[in-house]
Amino acid sequence: MPEVARAAGAARAGQAVVGPDLLRDEVAAVLASGGAVQALFAAAAGDGLEARYVCATPAGDLVLRCPAPRGEVPTIIDLAPHLAWDEREARDLFGLRFAGHEPHRPLVHHPGDLAAWATPVLGDDVHQVAVGPVHAGVIESGHFRFHTVGERIVHLDIQLFHKHRGLERVAEGGSAEEALATVGRACAACSVATGIAIAHAVEAARGLWPDDDLRRSRTLLAELERLYNHLHDIGAICAGVGLAPGAMAFAALKERAQRAIADLAGHRFMFGAVAAGAGAVAADRAAAGRARGALRELAPDVAAAWRSLLFDASLRDRARGAGALPADEARRLGTVGPAARATGVATDARERSPRLRYAGLRPAVPPGAEGDVAARMEARALELTDTLAMLDELLDGPVAPGHALPSAPPSAHGVGRAESPRGETVCAVELDGGAVRRVHLRTASFANWPAVARACRGAILPDFPLVNKSFELCYACVDR
Amino acid sequence: MFLLLRDLRRARRDAALPRGPRGALQLRHVDAGSCNGCEHELGAASGPAYDLSRFGISITASPRHADVLLVTGPVTGGMRVALERAYEAMSEPRLVAALGDCALGCGPFRRSPEAAGRLEDVLPVDVRIAGCPPSPDAIAAGLIPLLDRRAGAG
Repeated sequence: MPEVARAAGAARAGQAVVGPDLLRDEVAAVLASGGAVQALFAAAAGDGLEARYVCATPAGDLVLRCPAPRGEVPTIIDLAPHLAWDEREARDLFGLRFAGHEPHRPLVHHPGDLAAWATPVLGDDVHQVAVGPVHAGVIESGHFRFHTVGERIVHLDIQLFHKHRGLERVAEGGSAEEALATVGRACAACSVATGIAIAHAVEAARGLWPDDDLRRSRTLLAELERLYNHLHDIGAICAGVGLAPGAMAFAALKERAQRAIADLAGHRFMFGAVAAGAGAVAADRAAAGRARGALRELAPDVAAAWRSLLFDASLRDRARGAGALPADEARRLGTVGPAARATGVATDARERSPRLRYAGLRPAVPPGAEGDVAARMEARALELTDTLAMLDELLDGPVAPGHALPSAPPSAHGVGRAESPRGETVCAVELDGGAVRRVHLRTASFANWPAVARACRGAILPDFPLVNKSFELCYACVDR
Repeated sequence: MFLLLRDLRRARRDAALPRGPRGALQLRHVDAGSCNGCEHELGAASGPAYDLSRFGISITASPRHADVLLVTGPVTGGMRVALERAYEAMSEPRLVAALGDCALGCGPFRRSPEAAGRLEDVLPVDVRIAGCPPSPDAIAAGLIPLLDRRAGAG
């Protein structure tokens, strides 16, 4: 077993190596200090493997590295249950074993034998309904295995990773810029947030800090992404109950937002708008003013369309009480974003984003915060108001791309975060000179899929599309 | 909400697409590893501003009812069998459309060891709609000529 050293307690930010025997103590210490283990992944280290734990502590970011001399480290899912998917992924992709995590059910790999990956659900009248990977509408590919009694969902096993493209492996060995181009494109609908997360990770490793212009231009892009996504997601919930007027109204609003975005940033999904080390988008006073004008025209129409939904009895009846996620379950499962705020858990990575421009932002928690479909919809509507107000301010004048400037000595490891429209996305990079040795992306969708399975427990099968749409998670940025 | 109809009319006019019924075309979409961008734009093409259904083009729930298999993504290993089964389930004559740069083999995931790299290596491709992702206009412009082609085939 190689010699391992523990980091000095004072220097919490950065990285530390901890042996398998002390790993659980170290994780418990992070949790006791008020910190969180946000992601876990495996990496090759020398001839062996390492487990890595991305921690957010009150003193800053910490990457715990735990060597696995015999390909095994202790599980921590009893301490941090939300990392169950992370351990399953690390085992499938790297063969890293987690002692105590039994049974290991594959996540990335898809064994033909149902018993190998699905939860055994026994009892009278329990039957299974299998859906996907190809769905009836224009939907991403994924497989759902419902265990039901009659119409009632007892349990849901979600099998994703049909779209696994090995993006992290493709990115490794190349430059940080190439890694951003590859990993940042894990998903179209979150491409700005993912791009910002990996850009922040690279800049943190290089010891760079964004200047005011860069903070402003990236915040602008992130809020534009939130705008069109929230409009899309509210429309999708309407589609989930077959309310065509609501679905069409919000689809039209999303289209207007995306046209304004394309005019400003050159692309309807802002591909290529985030770079590492500098901004990649500029707008002169006229272009910023045009976008501001378009959004000022949009804002009252968004408010009017939302008011119409508030008075739509059929939508309210379907949305209220459907797919309720209790707040303590949201905490246990590590739920992020509007789905967490809809349960009353006031978490928003924008509050903790000194690399962006969010001074004074308060997480938008809807009154009541029942954690149901209605609350998830309302959380987005509240945020739309805030986002439109922020955008109005951010577009008050020309947009300069900005730069990231040296502020600290470079190191090998960097962690970056961004609040995507679906919640907090975390990215960790390990640099080796100019090249990326390892990059890991944990998106908000990855964090939230277990909450979808939990929220639909007890719901009737016909409500699943509605519950699913109310989270509106991506598959692409989970599968990578 | 009805106030928005005004904007819809404007958006449709801006799309500058041809009008008039020329038959019908049923599409079955299969996501074979896209980034979801093509799906967003396909949704927009079916949405109020572009409204592909006014040309007789619509999405069908089953490949058995489909004239065109519309495929996005670089064809990942995890989707290859499902894609082939969807194709086999279609009745003839059938067309395959590659939607977006990934399916065409020139997208950001073309070097992925987990994917075939391009649709053409898996299924015979009849129609190619380029773009990353293709805009709703480009999707409409790529599909509308198929209305004539299908009439010829039938």
